[in-house]
Amino acid sequence: MFRSMLEAFKNLFKPVRTHLYPAEDIVLPSGYRGLIEYGIDACIFCDKCEKVCPPGAILFFQHESGEKEYRYNPWLCIYCGECVRACPKPEEALWQSETKQRPAVVEDGANEGWFAWEEACKKSREEYAAAKKAAKIQNKSEE
Amino acid sequence: MKKTVHIPLGSQHISLLEPIRFKFECENEKIIGVDADVGFVHRGVELACTRSFEFKQVGYVVARVCGLCAITHSLSYTLAVEKLLGYEANDRIKYLRMLMVELDRIHSHMLCLAHTAENAGFEALFMQIMGDRELIMDVQEAISGNRVQFDYISIGGVNRDLTPELIALVHKNLSSLSEKIDALMTLFDNNWSLSLKYKGIGILTLEDAYTYNALGPLARAAGLATDVRAETSDFPYEALGYKMILESTGDIHARNFVRLREIVNSIEMCRNIIDNLPSGEIQEKAKGKPNGEAVVRVEAPRGELFYLVRGNGQNMLERVRIKTPTFSAIPAMMEVFKGSEYADAPAILASFDPCMSCTAK
Repeated sequence: MFRSMLEAFKNLFKPVRTHLYPAEDIVLPSGYRGLIEYGIDACIFCDKCEKVCPPGAILFFQHESGEKEYRYNPWLCIYCGECVRACPKPEEALWQSETKQRPAVVEDGANEGWFAWEEACKKSREEYAAAKKAAKIQNKSEE
Repeated sequence: MKKTVHIPLGSQHISLLEPIRFKFECENEKIIGVDADVGFVHRGVELACTRSFEFKQVGYVVARVCGLCAITHSLSYTLAVEKLLGYEANDRIKYLRMLMVELDRIHSHMLCLAHTAENAGFEALFMQIMGDRELIMDVQEAISGNRVQFDYISIGGVNRDLTPELIALVHKNLSSLSEKIDALMTLFDNNWSLSLKYKGIGILTLEDAYTYNALGPLARAAGLATDVRAETSDFPYEALGYKMILESTGDIHARNFVRLREIVNSIEMCRNIIDNLPSGEIQEKAKGKPNGEAVVRVEAPRGELFYLVRGNGQNMLERVRIKTPTFSAIPAMMEVFKGSEYADAPAILASFDPCMSCTAK
């Protein structure tokens, strides 16, 4: 009884163990796994990151001109870093930063918007492949 | 006239962290029959592993089976696939994997102790242990880069290396935790109100532990010497100071003490691991595609975790079977309830450390 009273009295003068979040920022450790960032200039469009990504948070949209467009969903990403390890040019084309993503709001279209993108990317690939095939057949028949 | 009453506990109850439903058949205050239902958080992980994800991605999927033993799940799966690929990791990878599994064990046991204290009515101790647990969570966050989903282990190695600053942090936090655990041991042993709730309550005898196939701390508290760490040779546990922790009484107090002493043992092993860390690569190439069937057992914080992986030489696996420790321990748990008071049920339940999201997956 006496000991517990003493312990309780001592606790009054101990420092607080909780953070005053959100008034104070939480200190993240160095090397925190944050957002995946992309540098378009160094990318060679090998699609390796897209293939290894476990949740499928990286997609490439295929334009008719043959160019590809990188698309990333930070709210679907699990920040495992597999894409960075698969990338042939890490640090230049794809790297993991220490920034934390803010929570998604409706305007971001984290769900519906992304589902539409997934469909569009799939369709663009199919259309591009079909167009290429058709061009090949035409070339052959011309010969 | 009917002499018994049925009292449900769950699926949502103040003493439960996760949904599980017990139906107790009580005679006055005494429990004489138990019925359990565990499948409230089924997510279809096993099927997803074989239908939606390629074998290289499945490690990240099974890590989401459980929030507490994420490392143990991904480690078991990775070991199984590495067996199929015919790859054996070098010593550094093994040591780093062991370090994370032992840290996982420490913080999981601390959560269980905190929860048992809370269910016995000692809220302040719950806060204190959860506060101390942050020491280990900080270490894991610094090593792996994330607080809950570590994503540390991948096929062919581990994703990050230990830096000298991290090693210093591990040493610092482990030594301050070590003092706190010593204080906790005295408290759990001598506190009068905790003794009322723990000593002689929820007894599992050695014979029952054998009969109902108990495992993990539940079995070791009853004196049944079963531990996958001592039975398999995937990791050099013996060389790093592993000791089998046994108690004999089989009550809640014994289970708490098995956990406390295992934490002390794990702290010692973690220190040995970082002091004797061999040099080598942390990521190696494991080539090929899984063909055949592999079975892996790993000691999770709650007992034996069993993985069966079957592949047919393609990117998609044929079958992934996960048998979690809580699932295997359900018969023994039901036996412990019989004969105890209804008022003790929450504390007994917490002392099993049940993990429902593992069990239902």
